[in-house]
Amino acid sequence: MKTIALYSIKGGVGKTATAVNLSYLSSLLSPPTLICDLDPQGASSYYFRITASKKYNSDKFLKGNKKIYRNIKATDYENLDLLPSDFSYRNLDIELSEEKKPQKKLKKNLEELSDEYQFIFFDCPPNLTLLSESVFAASDVILVPLIPTTLSIRTYMQLLDFFKAGKLDSSKIRPFFTLVEKQKKLHRDIIEEFRNTPGFLTQSIPYNSEVEKMGIYRAPLNAILPNALASKAYRKLWEELNSELEKNN
Amino acid sequence: MLNQSAGSELLPENLLPSGWSIRAGLSRKEVREFYDTFEWQAFNEGIAVVKKRRTLLLADLNTGKETSSLPFAGSPSSFFSDTLPSSHLKEMLTSLTTIRAFVKLCSIEAIITSYRILDDNQKTIATLTSEVLSLASKEKQEPFAHIFSLFPLKGFGDEMELLEKSLSSNHHEVRELCFMELFVLNMHAAGRNIQDYSSKIRLDLDSDAPVHNSVRQLLQSTFSVMCANEEGIKRQIDSEFLHDYRVAIRRTRSILKQLKGVFDPEETAYYLNFFRELGKKTSALRDQDVYLLRQATYFHYLPPFLQPSLRPFFTDIALSRKKLHKTLCRYLASSEYRSFLGEWDAFAHRQSTPDPERSPNASLSTGEVALHTIKKAWKKVIRHGRQISRETTDAELHALRIDCKKLRYLLEFFSSIFPHKSVAPVIGQLKELQDNLGDFVDYAVQLHFLRERLSALSPGKEELLLAASTGALIATLFQKQEEVRSKFHKTFASFDHEKTSELFDDLLNENPK
Repeated sequence: MKTIALYSIKGGVGKTATAVNLSYLSSLLSPPTLICDLDPQGASSYYFRITASKKYNSDKFLKGNKKIYRNIKATDYENLDLLPSDFSYRNLDIELSEEKKPQKKLKKNLEELSDEYQFIFFDCPPNLTLLSESVFAASDVILVPLIPTTLSIRTYMQLLDFFKAGKLDSSKIRPFFTLVEKQKKLHRDIIEEFRNTPGFLTQSIPYNSEVEKMGIYRAPLNAILPNALASKAYRKLWEELNSELEKNN
Repeated sequence: MLNQSAGSELLPENLLPSGWSIRAGLSRKEVREFYDTFEWQAFNEGIAVVKKRRTLLLADLNTGKETSSLPFAGSPSSFFSDTLPSSHLKEMLTSLTTIRAFVKLCSIEAIITSYRILDDNQKTIATLTSEVLSLASKEKQEPFAHIFSLFPLKGFGDEMELLEKSLSSNHHEVRELCFMELFVLNMHAAGRNIQDYSSKIRLDLDSDAPVHNSVRQLLQSTFSVMCANEEGIKRQIDSEFLHDYRVAIRRTRSILKQLKGVFDPEETAYYLNFFRELGKKTSALRDQDVYLLRQATYFHYLPPFLQPSLRPFFTDIALSRKKLHKTLCRYLASSEYRSFLGEWDAFAHRQSTPDPERSPNASLSTGEVALHTIKKAWKKVIRHGRQISRETTDAELHALRIDCKKLRYLLEFFSSIFPHKSVAPVIGQLKELQDNLGDFVDYAVQLHFLRERLSALSPGKEELLLAASTGALIATLFQKQEEVRSKFHKTFASFDHEKTSELFDDLLNENPK
């Protein structure tokens, strides 16, 4: 099993769209896949038309394994399951801080799922908290979507600093560019600047209005419009990442 | 779930919780062919043998779970398990039988449509499969059942409960159906009665009833076995049809002969004569069947360089078998045979008590006759067995084998009036002795046959190797026969033992039920 986090300190960079589409692609190519919606806003749950059952909340999530397992739901796509988010997740940080080893909590809680899934994706909320640290420890890969803008690059640098200070394994961090508008010079320049920087994935995701329509279709873009510009880019991104993962195995 | 009112359209949406909907998917046709042996050997072991979508598969009848599968092209009317390619499925079926053919029981056509059940969020919470079942045939058939299968998606248990509640309160014709029921439903639609045949005698006799009634029950039973096997003999499905047919004739004759004074002697003699002749008409064909079944064993007895030379032997047998089969089939269709069956059927079903003058034993109680005849037959086996010389001649063993068979048929005929726990061990003891004698006589018959074949060969060079392989077979079979012969006295001693006589005493002193 491989775990992949979609993470960014900044909001609105395309974390959820990437998590939804990559998890869908992985479920086709190396089934089965689980996507964990960790964001209390529940955007990826919304995309898959799934809401958590009334009995489910952050307590259950922290208890782990069986409690989590019971709340996993099938999406409309074969071999792709989802652990929905619940609004109570907004308190996860406070609750985590009361645990003994909060950073290791997520990894431990998902242990039993490792036999079941080839891939687990985490769709993370945009902040840098105890939950994020728990995600960092539990993930094999931390995918960081970056809009090619100065502010976005700055948050990425902050993340690297955080890893350095905490002596975390920064080789897990794999940034890639999203919402790229080739006609903008700034975008082109920034991409050019980071082209050969170690850790950066070469495939970027272009700005594509179809991606925004995912909220209307409530389905992965790759499932309904596989030939859309962004769909093709997601597929290439997944192929790039997956072949690296296979090489390292 | 089953909706017997075939043709009724799918669940209307008003049966669903409010805001929910159904979305139709693709429809496809699937033909399912069910196989089993004439004796339902797969069914008896809880296995369904089904061919669909170019695959032969085994399913557990109780759970419906597929246990084994194999690519399988074509749709033969029957097949033998040992002709399948090596696989788990082959192992499973050969462990059931290699001798009986798996016969196509029925072809069912299923029109399968899948639907998705969406909740008020348009999220799929379950898939629904509708199967409209009808008999597969060229003309359009009325469906005999409409089956719905509901498969909930993971994590939607609460929604399923809601759906089930809604369905059961709205639709009174809906009921759950397990795989076994579905299997039975398919069979009934095709006019098949499950477990409708067994070659074993299954009577339920009353020990106080007059014995002529009980014998008539047996005669009816063996008669129906004969009739049931005729079709399989004609169609040459497997060799067991003829075998069972012959056993039914032997049982009939043995009981008629042993229970003297139960029917009019003249009438009995007439029927006995007919059955003896009928038995004879089938013997040669059965012999050829047995040789063909032994083909692999015979090759195995020979060194590889002699094996090919034996081929003409089996080619000849197959050829002569073909002729004999044709002759027998013609006879089975003849008016002589058909009208005899009519007479015999009437005799077996006659209700009136036979004339006491000519049939003095007819009204004796079944229990009384059972005790008397079994005791007599048992004593005979013991007496003749003890007389067998140290040399153990062929004639002695042949005769004892027949005595044993008579006793066996009596025990099986009357078994239902004795407690199972007393009759089963007696039959078990007898079976060991019968196996020894049966093997011996089998070898004797084969040796005799091979000797005749050998002497019929031309002295020329062409048949030299065939003669050599026949000779080698004779030597091997002779060795085997001698082994069996040498074991006879030991086997008989263990039968002619206090233990056995205690078992017989228990059986015969116990009042029949």
